[in-house]
Amino acid sequence: MLIENMTMAFSAIRTNKLRSALTMLGIIIGIGSVISIVSIGDTMRSMFADLYKNIGLTQAYLSIGYWVDDVRQSDYFTLDEMERIKEAFPDEIAYIDSSAMTSADAVYKREKITFDYTGIDYNYQDVQPVNIVYGRYLNEGDILGRKKNAVMDTDSAKMLFGTENAVGKTFRTTLYGSTDDFTVVGVYRKELNAFQALMMGKTSDRGAAFVPYTLLTWPNDYFYQLHIFASEEVNQSVFYDQLKAYAARMRSREPEDMYLYTAMEQMTAVDQVMGGLSAAVGGIAAISLLVGGIGIMNIMLVSVTERTREIGIRKALGARTRDVLIQFLTESAILSACGGIIGVAIGVGVVSIGSALLGMEAVIKPGVILMAVSFSAIVGIFFGIYPASKAAKADPIDALRYE
Amino acid sequence: MIIGKKAPEKDSARPLIQLENLVKIYDTGALRVLGLKKINLTIEKGEFVAIMGHSGSGKSTLMNILGCLDRPTLGHYYLDGEDTADMTSDQLSLIRNKKIGFVFQSFNLISRTSALKNVELPMTYARIPKGRRIKRAKELLEKVGLGAREDHMPNELSGGQRQRVAIARALANEPPLLLADEPTGNLDTAASIEIMELFSSLHDEGVTVVVVTHEEDIAAFADRIIRFADGQIISDEKNSGKGGIPC
Repeated sequence: MLIENMTMAFSAIRTNKLRSALTMLGIIIGIGSVISIVSIGDTMRSMFADLYKNIGLTQAYLSIGYWVDDVRQSDYFTLDEMERIKEAFPDEIAYIDSSAMTSADAVYKREKITFDYTGIDYNYQDVQPVNIVYGRYLNEGDILGRKKNAVMDTDSAKMLFGTENAVGKTFRTTLYGSTDDFTVVGVYRKELNAFQALMMGKTSDRGAAFVPYTLLTWPNDYFYQLHIFASEEVNQSVFYDQLKAYAARMRSREPEDMYLYTAMEQMTAVDQVMGGLSAAVGGIAAISLLVGGIGIMNIMLVSVTERTREIGIRKALGARTRDVLIQFLTESAILSACGGIIGVAIGVGVVSIGSALLGMEAVIKPGVILMAVSFSAIVGIFFGIYPASKAAKADPIDALRYE
Repeated sequence: MIIGKKAPEKDSARPLIQLENLVKIYDTGALRVLGLKKINLTIEKGEFVAIMGHSGSGKSTLMNILGCLDRPTLGHYYLDGEDTADMTSDQLSLIRNKKIGFVFQSFNLISRTSALKNVELPMTYARIPKGRRIKRAKELLEKVGLGAREDHMPNELSGGQRQRVAIARALANEPPLLLADEPTGNLDTAASIEIMELFSSLHDEGVTVVVVTHEEDIAAFADRIIRFADGQIISDEKNSGKGGIPC
């Protein structure tokens, strides 16, 4: 009987091809947009997760809280303190520096370009690997000897020197009032996909270079914050709590007075916002499914009215209420499920093509597809119930007389 | 009333149709129309009966009740011994499916559905397995002379052919009663004769045939003619001049 009903439903759908197609369109658009929106959201989230992974999920910045009013000189860090912290947590800290950054003009021959300098320790490479294409990374000797050496990316090298291979070339720059010649010891290549480049922003007119942090932070200088990468083996929140308490004790502050900004927290926040956003937009798209369902109900009502006589004949020949009900329910469910399947194909297609164009890997969760298809079948059955019961309840005499 | 209550007659001598003081009132709210006024009628198994009357005489109302499409307001209708007065609509569906074969004036084949599928339909509702269904449907189409047309759609068949498909369909579940409502109303004379001869031969095979008509020529094929007027039987007699349409 089920097969009979399916056959009847398909033949009824085939009979009115255009009408069936237009009816399905509502469901197709609904399912297609829900799947694309949710999958685009999921794809973005996974991109962000990758992005943060690249930046370093274990990293954090520690400073005196921005809410603390009576900031004292002792609230600033010194290099000595940094050493003490490093010694206090030898296994937990993978990397630590003074978070020194500054900008200045770099001059080479007639070329003058603003450079952003980041002061790093030699082992920064361990936590933020880069692909050195020419020369070498900064080494321990550069750091301890306060050598005026720099490592920059290929884009910056090209801007300043007109060549990617700038190893051995020198440029002049003024850092904190002292003008010096810096030598390029290494050049690395940034590897970003289209999405990351978009998110990180390509500052086309500025250069960037790594220099020893010891050059940007002098032993007698104070600095505002520590930049730390926790080792991946330790429990991050436990370690960062300990660190906060340790730093607070150092300057006789409460741990609550210290401000800890972790990449993990930031990523979680971003992820939550993105998840919420894609759920909200997906929810709005789901409304179009409702509209599609109403479309199905409308067409089924027309179909039932048109086929009143057929219903009368079927009843005269022995069809019971249930037989007619199931016949029409099958029809609306098939109509809706077909729309759902086409919608899934379109949604998956849109997301795959879109992400392929952006050079990203599409994230399409099977659960989303399953949910969308079952939702469309439920919509079909739910909105088919009223027309089908109208058909099933038809009086055979009236139905047979219907012209 | 107990469903399936037996008529007072003995089982062996049970008539196929027995109407007892049957009354049908159409209540339209403001107006109450008496469709049938206390009808008493018995039709035995194997009879060939014509019910005649002008439009409005109540013959269609009677036809609907005999066909279990409608229920009497008062009185009893025993079909093959079963009282149909208090059956639910699904029980009536079952009765129609098993006991009655309908032939309509306008054929009432399901459009865009092959002759074979149309004949299969009552068997589908009787839950007969597909293989047996198709075999029986083919036999029936063969019997009505349409063996070669099983894949034709109704709109590819002539009026006479359509009515023969409808008759094959009516016979699908081997019902004891064949009920025809103006079966030749939409047919020309030649096709009408063909159809009525088919009814005659089915009657000869033992099927009880009840034909509702307003044409004397058609009624002439029957053994017994019941005339209706104003919701009542005005005459019920054996057909002496049986022979059909004079050519």
